[in-house]
Amino acid sequence: MYLKVCKLSAKPEFIEAAKAGNILARKCSKCGALHLATVYYCKKCGSKEFEDSTIKGTGKVATYTIMTVPPEGFEDLAPYAWVVMEIDDSDIRVSGFLPKIATPADLPIGTPVKITGFDERGIVLEKQ
Amino acid sequence: MERESVCVLGGGSTKYGKLDDSISDITLQASVGAIESAGIEPKEIQAGYISNVFGVADKQVHLGPVVMSNLGISECPSLSIESACGSGSVSFREAFANVAAGFYDAVLVTGTEKVTHTGTDWTTTYFSYCSDFFYEGQAGASFPGLFASMARAYLHEFDATEEDLASVAVKNHENGVLNPKAHLRKKISIDDVMDSAVVASPLKLYDCCPFSDGASSVILCNEKFAKEHSKDYVKVIGSGRGGSPAALQGREKLTTIPSTRIAAEAAYKMAGITAKDVDFAEVHDCFTVAEVVDSEDLGFFEKGTGATAARNGETKLNGSIPINPSGGLKSKGHPIGATGVGQVVEVFEQLTGKSGERTVNDAKIGLTQNFGATGASCAVHVFESV
Repeated sequence: MYLKVCKLSAKPEFIEAAKAGNILARKCSKCGALHLATVYYCKKCGSKEFEDSTIKGTGKVATYTIMTVPPEGFEDLAPYAWVVMEIDDSDIRVSGFLPKIATPADLPIGTPVKITGFDERGIVLEKQ
Repeated sequence: MERESVCVLGGGSTKYGKLDDSISDITLQASVGAIESAGIEPKEIQAGYISNVFGVADKQVHLGPVVMSNLGISECPSLSIESACGSGSVSFREAFANVAAGFYDAVLVTGTEKVTHTGTDWTTTYFSYCSDFFYEGQAGASFPGLFASMARAYLHEFDATEEDLASVAVKNHENGVLNPKAHLRKKISIDDVMDSAVVASPLKLYDCCPFSDGASSVILCNEKFAKEHSKDYVKVIGSGRGGSPAALQGREKLTTIPSTRIAAEAAYKMAGITAKDVDFAEVHDCFTVAEVVDSEDLGFFEKGTGATAARNGETKLNGSIPINPSGGLKSKGHPIGATGVGQVVEVFEQLTGKSGERTVNDAKIGLTQNFGATGASCAVHVFESV
């Protein structure tokens, strides 16, 4: 689905896309730069005209940590990984949490991961 | 544009740590310390800049008028500034800009925070609101987690070890032992750091700064005003600010903080110096990895060599570029709204012969670098003795 000019806050649609395992991105209509759908202006050329673009939520681990002292709302999950992932075939990254990771050997940098959902907290990841 | 030459005329701090007094009282105590150190009367202050993040935790926001009223100058205008852990340096910068522009001759800049009474869970959760919350805090990343992710990337990309990071904590505790106002005045070893509990791997408890209460204050003025009041002042010769993508995921590299580089470049340019001219620096070491990254982004070391430099002692009090002679956030403590102003107090004391055993020998130029969150915002200032 393409929209010439996106409506402002795209968070609800971003969340729906993540629930389906995808990333909702915005491609700048002027320069083609790709952003997560939550931006309002293009970081490269300053345009605010975008086309929505749904990208498959697969990629690999850019960096991560294993949270042993969890913040509020994650007490039941610890230890888990919080991950910055690089989305395949794009230069965008997105963050999420990956349950059941206890040691660094479980998740080396570069490990293929995928988005499996978005619960009331954030993007949920799994190893591919 | 012709600018007024801006000077730090006096500085005061409470002890950093767990404090019993209210946020209003510690803010006033630090302010009175700065006023007395400067040798001025409160009525000579023309504006007040208060930096604070979580005044709500001690039931007092809009701190400015409370401070001014209790200094007997209720008519004096004031404001509060919040930029997460970088609030103090941002407030200092705004005060600097107003004095430099000639709007005021002398102003009070006070940073303050009181959170320890709320407990670690509350504090960890509230601090996470300083991140890009939709992508980070809400999705399970605490601040130790965010910096741990940077540490993981750093250790992966460069020839550095967790022990190298630990050496930053060991050095800052060595300095903090010499600072009577430091929160954690305890010597520690590499083994102590490595054996401490993992908070967010690869960071362990002793890689992390503590939650602290505390307040710090300086008097900022033009040079004419400074000369009329004291011979103990230092000049602010460079001021720079910068920004970074709010979330780590938005950054091209995870081993550098763009805002620091932008702010440092601007501050060096204004001062007409390079990193080589700096004699010592107070930098934002909320976690050990942050000090390593800062030391590279500020230009003291090539990218990827900061950890080795720390391990080799180059950043110790007697090293080639002493970093955090105060003990830094790690040992001196991190009352987040106060930290940026506290760094200026340290530089003022260093450059006016008031820092006792932790004095950096023959120092003429000092630098402060203080950022908010994971470096989403940053301010760098350069100071010169007179």
